[in-house]
Amino acid sequence: MSFFYLVAFLSVIFSLMTIFTKNPVHSVLYLVITFFTFTVHYIMLNAQFLAVVNFIVYMGAIMVLFLFVLMLLNLNKDTEPMKSPLVKVMGAIAGMCLLATFLGAFRALEQSDVLIKPHENIGLVENLGKVLFGEFLLPFELSSILLLTAMVGAVLLAKHEKGVKKQHG
Amino acid sequence: MGAIITLSLLAILLLYLGLFKAKSALLPVTLAGLALAIGFEWYGWNQMAAPQYSGMVLFDHYSIAFSILCIFIAGLVLSLSKAYFKAISENVAEYYALILFSLVGALLVCAYHNFAILFIGIEVMSVALYILVGIRKKDRASNEAALKYFLMGAFSTGFLLFGITLMYGATGSFDLSELQQYVRSTPDYQISPLFFGGILLILVGLCFKVGAAPFHFWTPDVYDGSPILITAYMSTVVKVASFAGFLRLFSMVMIPLDGFWEPLLLTIAIITLFVGNISALVQSSFKRMLAYSSIAHAGYMLFAILSIGSLSPSAILTYGLAYSLASVVAFAALILVKRQIGTDQFESFNGLAKQNPFLAFVVTVAMLSLAGIPLTAGFIGKFMMFGRVMESYHTLLLVLAAINAVIGVCYYLRVVVHLYFKSASEEVETSAIKVPLNFQIIFAISILLTLAVGVYPEWLINLL
Repeated sequence: MSFFYLVAFLSVIFSLMTIFTKNPVHSVLYLVITFFTFTVHYIMLNAQFLAVVNFIVYMGAIMVLFLFVLMLLNLNKDTEPMKSPLVKVMGAIAGMCLLATFLGAFRALEQSDVLIKPHENIGLVENLGKVLFGEFLLPFELSSILLLTAMVGAVLLAKHEKGVKKQHG
Repeated sequence: MGAIITLSLLAILLLYLGLFKAKSALLPVTLAGLALAIGFEWYGWNQMAAPQYSGMVLFDHYSIAFSILCIFIAGLVLSLSKAYFKAISENVAEYYALILFSLVGALLVCAYHNFAILFIGIEVMSVALYILVGIRKKDRASNEAALKYFLMGAFSTGFLLFGITLMYGATGSFDLSELQQYVRSTPDYQISPLFFGGILLILVGLCFKVGAAPFHFWTPDVYDGSPILITAYMSTVVKVASFAGFLRLFSMVMIPLDGFWEPLLLTIAIITLFVGNISALVQSSFKRMLAYSSIAHAGYMLFAILSIGSLSPSAILTYGLAYSLASVVAFAALILVKRQIGTDQFESFNGLAKQNPFLAFVVTVAMLSLAGIPLTAGFIGKFMMFGRVMESYHTLLLVLAAINAVIGVCYYLRVVVHLYFKSASEEVETSAIKVPLNFQIIFAISILLTLAVGVYPEWLINLL
């Protein structure tokens, strides 16, 4: 239990650092560490598959992509869009309201054993596969359409069109 | 299910047709495929409706009616696309395929019985649109619209997912029947607080998708920046499908908890009406006016969810049909006018009645239908929405809605004034606008249907 509090504390600290640090590259690096603490959480919950996926996809692939984009964009103070103080205050109030609502909701929660106990090994790959290819077969198959759409779109947007090429010479 | 499979395969077939440069076959094949899909849906009408595939989808009359409406409107929009996409780019087949993929998503949203399908449906629908909005690669407005839509859409999907997660946390299921069971069998005070958080977040996500205020900020820029045909598709098919999904969730699961969400939705509906109508009133661009008016129409359609009853599905179906037909006509006319004159300001409609009385008449009927004048489908839709509100005794809402209907009439009639009572500038008058055959057919179908529903609404109302 104390290990959980340590990791939870670290993830809160690092996610706050992500927001408050000035340098965007540092911010992304802190985000990577935040995701790493999440991975530790998943392992503690015995959700091995989620932990591995989180480690490889989020920490590895997506965050590195983020870093590359940041380097290409060359963000600095001059290009940063100005936000009026009114928008900032409104955003802060709205965010705090949402936070208060959720804290209220979570405070009233009790630990329920009904949902957790029968599926102690639910996070293992084997069980996940059984659910995915049994009950959730239709959404699983339909997500292929989603991926195909994204693929067609990516090619369509990235491809040079003939008219464009001519203008470049 | 037949329709969904047909459309997915059709889209892949179109990609192959594009590969083999069979460009003239694209539109006929697409329309034939859409007709086949409607045939499949029609065939399913008389079959026993039970949740299929481990309770993932449910093809009852409700979902079939909305699916057919979506396919039909998509067919209308696609028929207008002849020669439209070719002006934008070489890769016409991919655009057809993306629109069809998006339509598959819309059908999933109409027929879902499990949150997993709702999520995948909304994603398929939106991802295809993010790309279609940005197909004018060199147009800054189109790029901006695509990026804005993508970022905001991804954000709102996050809200929706978080809401779904909280509901799962409270009930342990994604299935609508089991959620319904949970809400009905648990006394109000014992329902987990997580469930209420889930309702809030799902409400935010869905209100974003239908473009209701205060989650509407993306709508004007995205509708304005994207190619007109895509705007027509977005503001009709996507909106109708999102409302079908919205209503299904709330009518199946949330009714017992209406004390919690009704005030929220009431506020959202009122804000949406006023923001949409008052902003539309001050626009100088026809396209932007239609974008704001679509926000206002979302407000009217929220009435059916606010006072859920046995008539709500047919109210949304009627309103959706009326609004979609009129929008398709308005956007199609805008394509023609913009091609001729080059801007989408109100002034470009000046003196159209003298040059092309048919086009002017068609636009007038569409505007009257959007404004809700009797003898058009729009009137029946508004009448049913107001009737729903009247039944549930929301007097304040009724008064505010009536005020908004009057504001709506103002800006729709402004278009008619430009059509008939203002004369065009001299350079334009020399060249009359030609209406291609496919536009003529679409205009005729839409206007006849609008008037038919306006005069004989019973068959549509009794459908569901």
